[in-house]
Amino acid sequence: MQPGLSFEQAPPISVPFRFFLTAPVFGIAAGLLLLWQGPEALISRWTSTALALTHLLAVGFMLQAMCGALLQMLPVAAGANIWQPRRVTHLTHAGLTIGTLLLVAGFLDGQPLLFQIAVPFMTVSLGAFALIVLIALFRTPAQGPTIIALRIAVFGLIVTISLGATLAATFGWQLALPLIELTHVHAAWGLGGWGLLLLAGVAYLVVPMFQLTPPYPVWLTRSFSVALFFLLTAWSITWLPLERPAGVQAALACAAALLVVIFPAVTLRLQGQRRRKITEPTLLFWRVAMICFIAAVLVVIAQQLIAAVDAYDGLPFLLGALLMVGVFMPVISGMLYKIVPFLNWLHLQRIGKPGLVVPNMRQMIAEPRMMMQFRLHLAALVLLLGATLWTPLVYPGGLALIASCVWLEWNLIVGARNFARFSRELETRLAAEQAAA
Amino acid sequence: MVGERIIDGRGMVPPEPMELTLAALDTLPDGEELLLLLYCEPRPLYGLLAQNGYAHHSHTRPDGTVEVHIKKA
Repeated sequence: MQPGLSFEQAPPISVPFRFFLTAPVFGIAAGLLLLWQGPEALISRWTSTALALTHLLAVGFMLQAMCGALLQMLPVAAGANIWQPRRVTHLTHAGLTIGTLLLVAGFLDGQPLLFQIAVPFMTVSLGAFALIVLIALFRTPAQGPTIIALRIAVFGLIVTISLGATLAATFGWQLALPLIELTHVHAAWGLGGWGLLLLAGVAYLVVPMFQLTPPYPVWLTRSFSVALFFLLTAWSITWLPLERPAGVQAALACAAALLVVIFPAVTLRLQGQRRRKITEPTLLFWRVAMICFIAAVLVVIAQQLIAAVDAYDGLPFLLGALLMVGVFMPVISGMLYKIVPFLNWLHLQRIGKPGLVVPNMRQMIAEPRMMMQFRLHLAALVLLLGATLWTPLVYPGGLALIASCVWLEWNLIVGARNFARFSRELETRLAAEQAAA
Repeated sequence: MVGERIIDGRGMVPPEPMELTLAALDTLPDGEELLLLLYCEPRPLYGLLAQNGYAHHSHTRPDGTVEVHIKKA
């Protein structure tokens, strides 16, 4: 066997499942917060409600699902074995779940003590996760654009965690630090340096594989992640209190926006060239995400160039809704509908033996169930985007977001229950065959 | 005479190529080789092959196609 490719080293199925089953709960919490606070959530990005909402989605939903997927994907798909996978899983899951609760409670309640607990707890657990994953990514014999993008993405996560911990420490210990500047850089590394590069690295692998498209062009996969890393770094430096020519920051932001828009544009083009013209839920989730991605980039460019757009009160909520509800949540939902049935099938194969037929991937979560969640999520997205124009739409938008996340949770529970049922059936058949022999 | 069976999984959605491979291995005579063609390394398959007593070696063609040669260990 080739080194580092052992499926035996892949963590048990309960590892990713606990992350996947927890993520939608925070999506439901975000919807409830929207219902509770109503139009208050849209006033500014700096309110306690907006900060709590952002972290419920970014850490509670997105990071939770991303970490679970990465822990499972690295050994199986990238040949990168995680050191002490069970311990790392427990620590990371606890860090994400309890850490999100502490952060959100801290934002809503304003108690410095909550941040004083959250800072060391999240820094140690998430920092350890990022370092261990980064070491695994440097030690794997596998090479290629996905590995390079993932390495930079995990570095981006470390930057995001460090800045996030610094920001939370200012709330916990009343430190006098430039909060606004740090927040801009923290958000850019979280969404761009970590989220987008993880998305791109995974897309290079899974879009051609699951959607039967041509591969991503080499000029894109070779240069995209490295170019984005340098642009993000240069843009971040412009926030330091140094002398610099006017307009450099806006120019770098526009350059980064023009660079990142290439990714969704190419993805949509590849999807149009797929070899089998089958329209299934994951494809639809990805398409919506890529369209929202392009829309978000256009908004960012307009923000840099047009003063009236920059001054528009609803802009932060619009960008937040586009990026989190429009881009990352649909991509994650779509990927979960591939990952969970595939993991079920793969782990069932381990129980079985040659000649013993394992249930088909399509039997794990029925497609109409996934389509229903897609429709609910689309409704949530449209209503929440509409809320930037007419704020009372935040109420049906919040309700639709809850419905989408409840449906996603139920679909994942169905997937987990089907795995348990099929493994029991396989074990019974195996025992019967052995008894007969 | 040693023969070779071919599964071209390049136009298939995972795990269809793996399902077909595992089904084909059930009837693969000793000494005969199965060739699987894909656009990526089927890393999860390698663990299953080792678990079930099969050896494999792979190499990538210039067009990006990965050839996986499988036979009984």
